[in-house]
Amino acid sequence: MRARALRFGHWPILLNPWLNGRQAGWMVVVPGTLLGVLLSTGLLGAVCAAAERPAVYAVNYPLQYFAERIAGEHAEVVLPVPPGMNPAFWQPDAAAIADLQRADLILLNGAGYAKWLDRVTLPRRKLVNTSAGFRDSYIETTEAPTHSHGREGAHSHAGTAFTTWLDFAQAAEQAQAVQDALAQLLPAQVPALRNNLDGLKRDLHDLDRRLAAMVAREPHMPLLASHPVYQYLARRYGLELSSVLWEPDALPSPAEWQALVALRETHPADWMLWEAEPLPATRRRLEALGIRSAVFAPCGNRPEHSRDPNQYSGQVPSQGQGHDRGRGRSLSQDRQDADFLSVMHANLERLAEVFGGAGGR
Amino acid sequence: MLDSFYVAWRYLAFHKARTATLVACVTLLAALPLALQVLLEASERQLRARAEATPLLLGAKGSALDLVMNALYFADAMPAPISMAAQDQVDASALALPIPLYVRFQARGFPIVGTTLDYFDFRGLEIARGRPLAMLGEALVGAEVAARLGLTPGDGLLSSPETVFDLAGVYPLKLRVVGVLAPSRSPDDRAVFVDVKTAWVVEGLVHGHADLGRRADDSVIIEQTEGNTIASAKLAQYTEITEANIASFHFHGDPAGYPLNAVIVVAQDAKSGTLLRGRYLNGESPHQLVLPGAVIDGLLADVFRIKRVLDAVIGVVGLATLLALALVFTLSVRLRQREIHTLFRIGCSRFTIARLLGAEMAIIATASAGLCGAALTAVHASSDELVRRLFFG
Repeated sequence: MRARALRFGHWPILLNPWLNGRQAGWMVVVPGTLLGVLLSTGLLGAVCAAAERPAVYAVNYPLQYFAERIAGEHAEVVLPVPPGMNPAFWQPDAAAIADLQRADLILLNGAGYAKWLDRVTLPRRKLVNTSAGFRDSYIETTEAPTHSHGREGAHSHAGTAFTTWLDFAQAAEQAQAVQDALAQLLPAQVPALRNNLDGLKRDLHDLDRRLAAMVAREPHMPLLASHPVYQYLARRYGLELSSVLWEPDALPSPAEWQALVALRETHPADWMLWEAEPLPATRRRLEALGIRSAVFAPCGNRPEHSRDPNQYSGQVPSQGQGHDRGRGRSLSQDRQDADFLSVMHANLERLAEVFGGAGGR
Repeated sequence: MLDSFYVAWRYLAFHKARTATLVACVTLLAALPLALQVLLEASERQLRARAEATPLLLGAKGSALDLVMNALYFADAMPAPISMAAQDQVDASALALPIPLYVRFQARGFPIVGTTLDYFDFRGLEIARGRPLAMLGEALVGAEVAARLGLTPGDGLLSSPETVFDLAGVYPLKLRVVGVLAPSRSPDDRAVFVDVKTAWVVEGLVHGHADLGRRADDSVIIEQTEGNTIASAKLAQYTEITEANIASFHFHGDPAGYPLNAVIVVAQDAKSGTLLRGRYLNGESPHQLVLPGAVIDGLLADVFRIKRVLDAVIGVVGLATLLALALVFTLSVRLRQREIHTLFRIGCSRFTIARLLGAEMAIIATASAGLCGAALTAVHASSDELVRRLFFG
């Protein structure tokens, strides 16, 4: 959108100070003006090229990442959700909706993700549900309580599990849907899009293979999850996972601790997966109960130190290039240019500790 | 010659009431069938233009005419509802863009049309003031609605209950007007557009209320079991959607089962349209995919059949009126026997007397023609508006 904000009319204003400083004589002004015109023309060309790029909006970071990887420099990919906010529960204001309405393509996660979509008006022809291809495989959630108005019958606000991308095979299908949508938008770039998709699929397949191999070492290990967001991960890789409803930044109540103790009687797990780092007090008390904590970030929003999307510029990092902390990249390096793939690799490394291995390579 | 017209004019001016009656009779006799013809042509033009601009229409099996009249002209006749799943089916085919329509409720006498943003692009509707629909609870009003109700962006507009006797029905919803459409000289001028989800809020299928888990008053709960809470009617539902409560609005059940009246199907090309039509031709489908143009042609054929009957009736009535007028004129001449005899005795020839009577008839005919022309010009100028009011209002 930034590129669209810069218009031709802005350039004389930008160049004014430069011209004002050269009023001494024609010998300076004429070549200066010519240079300015040439510069303006060149810059104008660049701006026009940028302005022609279609605007693609994604409802979460994984889709933004997929679209950036696939489209490269050919599209401007936007995640409208502010940093640090869970995109699934974001509520856009009128200005954000106006931006979305102007988009050329809006990538939806599907599976009931982003409830705000039910409360806003968007042009249907621009919407693409990237998980529509496996909608029959959505997991129905039952954790939310149901209620009724009068006695006409109960209903539930529970829907479907929506962190579909944590099943990396499904993530690859979503990436394919992103590529299909982009191909309609950018028919001239189809070979590049396909090439970029292949690279992304290779990376996702690598994650899929590593995680499957890791879990295969101890396939029946019981695990706890702090939040019911790992349904697709558990189904794909056969995790024996049982969830509670704890927040990483809040101390569980006494009742929740009691419920956990009761749960462990039937589900003797020694590890709990967290969406984010839990409070130290929670971690200590869990350890006192014999439960260790491991973070497996769903990465719904962009990492705090996210990679500049423009750096792809058509050069898509292939398998093992640039994203693989396990091959000599330090944690500080990851924090500097974290992206979806590096976050997932970090997740796998932490999970490797859970399954007592070295990352499944 | 001019003398004859002058005398005739003075005579008619003296007998004002009789002259006015004669002029009115002749004017009505001529204007009625011609005005009817003008209105029929205007209605035909409007019906055809709207129908031809709507390539395909999906709806429940039943009256195709009700379906077309409701979906295209927002008429009160309600076709049987279809579900959102029918629209999703069209969408999944990738052969066409589906545009849902749910026209069931009204706001101060104007139809509330639930649809999507694609409708405005499809019909080429421009926003004169304000902005497009963005959130649940917002409305975009047609030019005539705005003019007649004095609405501007930022105003509120309350939905009307379907029946005043439905005390247990849904609460009216206060819609927030965010924009006014530019005049389009179509039924869209007389509509209140909302997102189809907002139409479901009006119906009560989507609603918002206080969080039952954080209630202040336990008496709103009839029964609470593990995983299910039954609330009483005391649980107030929000009747206006604001930034503060919008997050509490939720669907009940599967939105795929939510109702629509019709779906405008904009096929990618002629082949896609034909393929889609083929899918709905089998007898098992509960839906029909109609060509609005063909339905309107059928309607117009009926209308013109009726018009032919009307023409015959008007013709017979006109002939009777002409005979009556001839009788009135003959009787009038008979009543004027003494006057005509006086004219004859002061030297007027029979021809001059005939010329005087002819001049009277010519003046009456000219006055009637002038009035008829003026009336037809007025009807023609406002024919589109008249047709909208008479047929779609």
